[in-house]
Amino acid sequence: MHDTNTRPFSISRVAIYATLIVAMLVYLIPVVVMLLNSFKTTGDIRAGNLLALPTTWTLEGWSKAWSSACTGVQCEGVHGFFWNSFRMTVPAVLISTILGSFNGYVLSKWSFRGSNLFFSLLLFGCFIPFQVIILPMAFTLGKLGLANTLTGLVLVHVIYGVAFTTLFFRNYYVSVPDALIKAARLDGAGFFTIFFRILIPLSTPIFMVCLIWQFTQIWNDFLFGVVFASGHGQPITVAINNLVNTSTGVKEYNVDMAAAMIAALPTLLVYIVAGKYFIRGLTAGSVKG
Amino acid sequence: MTTHSSFLPSYDFAGFEQYIKLMHNDRWLVASTNLGIFGGLFILICLAIGIVLAIFLDQRIRQEGFIRTVYLYPMALSMIVTGVVWKWLLNPSLGLEKLMHDWGWTSFSFDWLVNSQMVVYTLVIAAVWQASGFVMALFLAGLRGIDPAIISAARVDGAGLPTIYLRIVLPALRPVYFSAVMVLAHIAIKSFDLVTAMTAGGPGYASDLPALFMYSTTFTRGQMGLGAASAMLMLGAVLALLVPYLYSELREKRHA
Amino acid sequence: MAQLQLKDIRKTYKNSPEETLKGINIEIESGEFLILVGPSGCGKSTLMNSIAGLESLSGGSISINGRDISQVPPKDRDIAMVFQSYALYPTMSVRDNIAFGLKIRRQPRDQINAEVSRVASMLQIEPLLDKKPSQLSGGQQQRVAMGRALARRPKIYLFDEPLSNLDAKLRVEMRTEIKRLHQQLNTTIVYVTHDQIEAMTLADRIAVIKDGELLQLGTPKEVYETPANQFVASFIGSPAMSFIPITVTETDQGLAARVTGANRETLRLPLPQGLSPYLGRQITLGIRPEHISQPEAARIEHPLVTRAELTIEVTEPTGPDVIALIRLNDVAVHCRLNPEHPARAGEPTQLMFDMARTVYFDPDTGQRIG
Repeated sequence: MHDTNTRPFSISRVAIYATLIVAMLVYLIPVVVMLLNSFKTTGDIRAGNLLALPTTWTLEGWSKAWSSACTGVQCEGVHGFFWNSFRMTVPAVLISTILGSFNGYVLSKWSFRGSNLFFSLLLFGCFIPFQVIILPMAFTLGKLGLANTLTGLVLVHVIYGVAFTTLFFRNYYVSVPDALIKAARLDGAGFFTIFFRILIPLSTPIFMVCLIWQFTQIWNDFLFGVVFASGHGQPITVAINNLVNTSTGVKEYNVDMAAAMIAALPTLLVYIVAGKYFIRGLTAGSVKG
Repeated sequence: MTTHSSFLPSYDFAGFEQYIKLMHNDRWLVASTNLGIFGGLFILICLAIGIVLAIFLDQRIRQEGFIRTVYLYPMALSMIVTGVVWKWLLNPSLGLEKLMHDWGWTSFSFDWLVNSQMVVYTLVIAAVWQASGFVMALFLAGLRGIDPAIISAARVDGAGLPTIYLRIVLPALRPVYFSAVMVLAHIAIKSFDLVTAMTAGGPGYASDLPALFMYSTTFTRGQMGLGAASAMLMLGAVLALLVPYLYSELREKRHA
Repeated sequence: MAQLQLKDIRKTYKNSPEETLKGINIEIESGEFLILVGPSGCGKSTLMNSIAGLESLSGGSISINGRDISQVPPKDRDIAMVFQSYALYPTMSVRDNIAFGLKIRRQPRDQINAEVSRVASMLQIEPLLDKKPSQLSGGQQQRVAMGRALARRPKIYLFDEPLSNLDAKLRVEMRTEIKRLHQQLNTTIVYVTHDQIEAMTLADRIAVIKDGELLQLGTPKEVYETPANQFVASFIGSPAMSFIPITVTETDQGLAARVTGANRETLRLPLPQGLSPYLGRQITLGIRPEHISQPEAARIEHPLVTRAELTIEVTEPTGPDVIALIRLNDVAVHCRLNPEHPARAGEPTQLMFDMARTVYFDPDTGQRIG
């Protein structure tokens, strides 16, 4: 399949490059459009088309989106919701990752009676549609007195996320040779020593994968946010949706676009900085087992 | 409403009443039909685009890493953001249609977003934009995993490049189709954010999907029983996909 | 320095209908080098893991110096193990790998350092101490793995196929190295291998295991010359022993058997008198390549030695010998010939059969009968 490099300027080669570049444009244009229009004035948007450069570059849209746009009834911009998302995402990511690494260790290296069943249920947990667990989860949170709290939202994300993080770590630790564990046991290391001194130092890549995957998933979540949080406690995704779909007054598309960019920036940044781990997480998350 | 009864002491067992009601609910029928159209097209188009891009990218392309990064970045975005952008791009008075008119193609018309016959296809466009790069990544990893000796053997046997791909490489990627379809189907079934942000189910309920139906019956209209019944049907759909998948996964592992 | 006693060791895995170990009894003397050998899946690794305490027993007991340790956790058994995959801790330097067990046991720092340098100089790995395992070659990793075991000065060493991941040349070198270490330290070693040459060259005694049963326990010489049964006979020795079905008959020169060559040549093989209870019955003759050679004047007068002219089918020169293939009673049989002896494929040649050293098996039970 690689003889193509001996005739680098063949027609098929040009066609391949052309296809790839067109595809690249198609993937890029929506975000370019979003970015361009977030720097336009509302008049500019109405007058020009979506690909036109702004006649005057302005941060008006961004500042309004951040601090004074209306998201439903209140008009304080999205900054509060942006920090909500952080306050929700960071603990949920950390807790679910730590629990996952520990679960994965036990599942892969200390199999117990019923651990296979447990593993199957976990796989199942990864695939349950969110909608199915909403109602029971709402009742449980109510009983715990955590309804409509940030803690409750974090708890939901941890519970749902642990299935994934456990799988990530379990599959990673399965590839760590058992002989290593045996050697450590003979050297006198116990259950926790083996975990902290042998496995954790080996786990940097999977920690990266897991942290990034969880960050993206939780930051981007909408359903849990819209169901389990209310008013001032909502995450940014819910706020964006409210902002965009608020039908009062004149539609300010530059503000919409800026707000969408604000919601997208953290995960985009993570993707650009650590894309390698993100891709590994995606493929690992789909080729399970 | 059986599974959740322990949380609701006052609930009486109602048999299949809610399910029967659901089956006669026009909006549910539209939502399920839409899921069939949306899911089917979404999966097929993603696979087609993903496979073609993966094969093209596997031809010793310059800047492959950069191109790959571009193809895959939509997967890092929230479906809400995707929905907002595409809602705007496909808006007849602001987006693509206006662009074409500005460029002089005044007869161009693209009103799917507000056309109740076509609106479900706009969801397909946005979802494909978001997920096809991911399918590309899956297949690219699969292609890289194929033993080059097999391809050399086929070439020695006199097979041309298209034949090698069609007869040898693509059939060898069967597990990749399997997991790609699994993940895509899963995304389709639980698709809620995208339709909420893009069309909110409209016009009317022309672009409703089961996930949105479940949410709005339960929380906006307070018909909890109906919502729960629809959630259970969604679970059933996922199980129908998942059980054979898990079964084959676990069985393979036992044989290994 | 410790004596190890395995008493009626039994192991049954859950989900498995059959016993993996069916009552193994071995007493290993202090300073003895015992090799467990057998085909893969015979249970030798399970036995090894049981001694280490990494797997629990279903029955029987293990004692070190008379003290029952069957219920003692692995870290308190004072046993070190060298693994087939080396199992070096990938994130630690060579030094930390060797010191890990000592650190866990909270030994003083200067004592640990002294122990690490002692072991490093013994194995000549001082220049490697600050490297990571991934920077080492296979042979170096092997040395570090042994160093890690030696550092703790345990009572008993377990080696689980330690050389099987090395290339042929290195394997021979490390084999010698292990033997030298054993002679120098005089420690008790239990060593698992499926390589019968390793077993023959290293062991004080060999335990041949098959299907969870101990078939024979003896010195390499005993196992090689007087195998307990047909399996042991076939497993030890290369090229393997050939097995020829023969019928015991009485002649005026004593017991004998008549066999047919590839070209219908018949020859009469004298048999030892001990086989008289089997007169008229079919038995299996076990014959090693060195039992058939070029005629030698010094040996030919022995009553149980005979000569015949047979057609050679294939010759395989190995350098010191030529392995020639002949056919007796339709069984392919290897002979070990001097390279000077004229032997060409397809041509007849003079061969000497040393029936004083061959062995005989009951064809039904496979047990040796003489």
